[in-house]
Amino acid sequence: MHKLVFGFLMVVVWWLLHAMQLEEESALGILHEGKRAIDRAAHAAAQQLDKSKLETGILSIDPAAARAAAIAYLAGNLRLEANLAPQAGQWLDSAPEIVEFAVINELHSFPYTYRNAAYDYEVTLRRPGVVLIVHIACPRIFGVMEPIEWDLKGAAELTLS
Amino acid sequence: MKQLLVFILFASLFCWLMFSPVYKHVIVLRQALLQQETDYMLEVGASGRYGYIDGAMIAASRARLSAYGFRPALLEYEVTTTSGLPGTDPGMPLERGSGLRLIIRYPYDNLMNIDRLIGVEPPPVTARLAAAGMKMSEYVP
Repeated sequence: MHKLVFGFLMVVVWWLLHAMQLEEESALGILHEGKRAIDRAAHAAAQQLDKSKLETGILSIDPAAARAAAIAYLAGNLRLEANLAPQAGQWLDSAPEIVEFAVINELHSFPYTYRNAAYDYEVTLRRPGVVLIVHIACPRIFGVMEPIEWDLKGAAELTLS
Repeated sequence: MKQLLVFILFASLFCWLMFSPVYKHVIVLRQALLQQETDYMLEVGASGRYGYIDGAMIAASRARLSAYGFRPALLEYEVTTTSGLPGTDPGMPLERGSGLRLIIRYPYDNLMNIDRLIGVEPPPVTARLAAAGMKMSEYVP
């Protein structure tokens, strides 16, 4: 009898280990997916040239268009609604929060080093660019692990071909 | 006798416990490889030099993925754009500001069938592993 009980206990432990492994794998997947989405959002935001300033020969990023592009690409890559609300049945079950959105424009001299002590982020830009920091909470399927939340950081420069 | 009975009762569960991690591992790896390929193709396709993902790029991608053991004929590529252009035509590249979307799909290949041992139905035959991404084109004519 005690062997049977031992067998049951082992099965429970195995199941828990499996659940934890699956959850860790999915969390890592979401971390990588989130980082990619933030890089692509920053990249899209950094391509929003201010056309009226371009006519006078100044390379500058339009902050309003940049923010709209960043939100659109975050939503597209993280499979969210257009206003960043979570979609039913997709990865995230809470909306990501844009905690920092900095447009570094022609007012600074380049190379410019952006420093953010609050989020421990530092990046050097050689051209006008965008810095984006987004807070993402990882959804948990089984609840075996402690809650995981990340501040994902990305930066992109205006590309000129 | 009693022990034999217990073993037979639990045999399927033991089989699942032992072998399902191997199958799950293959799925995780395939998903990661598909995602890596999607990232690479978007990086190249949306760069300032191209602005499209054409048939030749997709053929090269199939060849790369088949080196990892994917069967090239089963890979499905879907290219869409935010501007409505096809995105696969080198003569009509996407201009800067429009987004290029790529989805690569691959069947599960019966890798989830082992879950039947514990009574979990595998996903339907039509279900696919998928990796997707959207990137803004940098191409300027």
